[in-house]
Amino acid sequence: MTQDIRNTENPDKIKDKINDIEYLFKNTLFSVNKKGTIGWFCTYTPEELIIAGGLIPVRIFGRKKIIKSESYFPINFCPYIKSSWESLLAAADNFRALIFTNSCDGMRRFFDIASKYLDKIPSYLLDVPHLKNRDSADFFASNAGDMKMFIEKLNGKKIDDKKIENAIKLTNKKRSLLKEYSRIFNKLSFLIDIPTYYKVMELSMISDPEIFMEDLEKYLVFIGNIDKASTKNGTSLKSDHSDYPAIMIIGNFIAEEKLWEMLSTMNLKLASEDLCTSNRYFEKQVETSDSEDLLKSIAERYLNKPQCMRMADLSSKLVEIENNIVKNNIKGVIFITLKFCDNMLYSFPLLKQRLNDMGIPVLYLDIEYNNFSEGQIKTRVQAFLEML
Amino acid sequence: MGIKDRLKTGIQRNLNQRYIKRLLGIIAVKPVLYAYGKTFTSASDRYLNIFTIESLKKAYSGSSRPIGYGSLFVPYEMFYALGITPFLPEVMAGFTAGLGLAPQTLKEASSNWYSQDLCTFHRSASGAAELDLFPRPDYIITSNLACDAAQKSFYLNSLKYGIEKNFYLIDVPYRYSEESLRYLTGQIKNICMDICSKTGKKFDISMFEEAIKLSNEFRKWAIEVGSLRKILLNYPPYFNGLNFILPFHGLAGTKEAVVLYKEIYKDLKKCLDEQNKEGLDREKPLKRILWLHLKPYYRNEIFDILYKENCRVVFEEINHVCWPELDYKKPFESLAKKMLSNFLAGSIDNRIDVTLQAAHDYKADGAILFSHWGCRQSNGGARIIKDSLKKLDIPTLVLDGDCVDQGNSSQGQVKTRLQGFIEILNS
Repeated sequence: MTQDIRNTENPDKIKDKINDIEYLFKNTLFSVNKKGTIGWFCTYTPEELIIAGGLIPVRIFGRKKIIKSESYFPINFCPYIKSSWESLLAAADNFRALIFTNSCDGMRRFFDIASKYLDKIPSYLLDVPHLKNRDSADFFASNAGDMKMFIEKLNGKKIDDKKIENAIKLTNKKRSLLKEYSRIFNKLSFLIDIPTYYKVMELSMISDPEIFMEDLEKYLVFIGNIDKASTKNGTSLKSDHSDYPAIMIIGNFIAEEKLWEMLSTMNLKLASEDLCTSNRYFEKQVETSDSEDLLKSIAERYLNKPQCMRMADLSSKLVEIENNIVKNNIKGVIFITLKFCDNMLYSFPLLKQRLNDMGIPVLYLDIEYNNFSEGQIKTRVQAFLEML
Repeated sequence: MGIKDRLKTGIQRNLNQRYIKRLLGIIAVKPVLYAYGKTFTSASDRYLNIFTIESLKKAYSGSSRPIGYGSLFVPYEMFYALGITPFLPEVMAGFTAGLGLAPQTLKEASSNWYSQDLCTFHRSASGAAELDLFPRPDYIITSNLACDAAQKSFYLNSLKYGIEKNFYLIDVPYRYSEESLRYLTGQIKNICMDICSKTGKKFDISMFEEAIKLSNEFRKWAIEVGSLRKILLNYPPYFNGLNFILPFHGLAGTKEAVVLYKEIYKDLKKCLDEQNKEGLDREKPLKRILWLHLKPYYRNEIFDILYKENCRVVFEEINHVCWPELDYKKPFESLAKKMLSNFLAGSIDNRIDVTLQAAHDYKADGAILFSHWGCRQSNGGARIIKDSLKKLDIPTLVLDGDCVDQGNSSQGQVKTRLQGFIEILNS
């Protein structure tokens, strides 16, 4: 990190530097071609095992426009899956293998389609339980063991406990850094743009973890220095967002750059989130002790992380959300789902009722993927913010 | 106006649980029930419909508590062994379609924030629950088999009725393995034990033995029925295998299921004997159709068109006996095996194996996959199923529609697509 920060610098210039991702993460951006990669889709995929196998876990974001995919899936089907399939049809060779999870009906069928029509790329489906208890953790640990064998077979190399332990340490560290970044983003939301924040989150999932962490650590130091300098030397970097209502976003795989850009131009403070593209990915560490079975530790972390609406116990999900609302003094919730996500759609009646009881207004949005109709959504968000 | 139409009109005008109870009180009286039964042409249809009404009357009267809501693919043997009266909201959603109530139940679901993109079986059932049309459950047992929707909508029901602690999800693993079997067996056992402790009843293994023996007996007759259908083309009028999803799943473990399947066997055997004796008096050969997924449960022309165009649905995948004979000495493990054997669990390959085998066994000329709006687990596999059947030179029609919401299905388009498909079969 060569950029020098002086508190006397123009605040706009400082903001530009903080949001210059291409410069700040340039090593990260070119990191994935150096080793073999395994494509993954869902935050229930234990990346630790991929890293322990000497491969880079790369989340497939599916940035392709849906064209050929329409002939494989029905019209009312998850647009993220369709877009990811489009990407795979175009460039599956980028991956040594693909790892799916049975997170939902859509993913199960996606795995079937990939296994049938992309048979040159090995695919594996990890069975993730819907329950959270001792038996399901044992079962999930056993399934993680099967996934480890799949990777070993792929590589022709055994994955021993030492490798898993190192991968756990590495992944835990990445989670800590992302959590710290999220904390700073909430504090300095007037400096870090929403698209920047989510771009960094995306990079954390698609890059070589070691190179990404080097860049992120430097970036955190860089922002930390700015924060310290502004605190010490006066008012030049004071927030102009302090009067904005604190908003929480609840959604699924929301990775829509245009949405983030749109929100960054509006009078709101993004104070909390519950998304597959942020906190559901980085919250909660794998806790190990010498006597423990490492796969069991991994299983427990994934089953107890901020959960997807797919899990059986929606009430504990609501408790997670309620705690976030209270902790972050949230004034309104934007519930945003990709179309045709049954698990999200079924959670809404319950969430709506609970938020009503708490006196928290909620805006319901359902969107396509890579096909964002800004005008209509902007009007609805504006009306919602005015109401707050 | 016939008795069925009078029933429909009455309930449409008075959509509340009190009226439903009153109606069941009237219709379930022997002479009326006898008159109602006479409107069905075959003995099996008559038995099924009379039994359904008697069961509903019991469930609604409150005399057969505890009542347990169950999703379609849970093993109902455990309900009967535990003394729980099952109530199947998904099947009731089919009734809402048949009785013309779905517009009201779906509207109620929408006003309670159930998205229109969700499956109408679950939406209609949830709307009916919101309207308090169903008897209040004491327990809810559901599973992730065959889709995400049941576990979610049933969970919402458990909150609505304030019985979250009596909600049980049977988490069916993706693969059939020793580990999966152990995990699933443990869950079924724990649920049974927990319910016993709540009801204060001692766990009675003999009840499980009885339910499982009856289930095996029913299974035997269901296989016999399937065997007859491999050669049968001369069906009783209005016979439709898709009307039997309630007994096939919800009555497994009862003597009524055994009686019913014996009746079906007798009805079809009689038809087969006639077919063998008199032959099929037809100019054109009949086309044999394999039916995948379910059908619309409101009045529709699909099966009339098929009949008039010399097509016969010779088998429905939903009637496939996919589980092995159950071991009454190991009830929990047996029920776990039954669930893991379901062809809708896990990979699409399981469904394709059943489809291809059925296409072969029933000599299918073509297949129709009814693409029910919002059924991601089924429709997501349509392309693979179609391609797999194509390898056997069997054309497949993926027929878009909705099993419950008539307004979400274009009759004209369905007719056009069916006729186009029939032309392909005849070419």
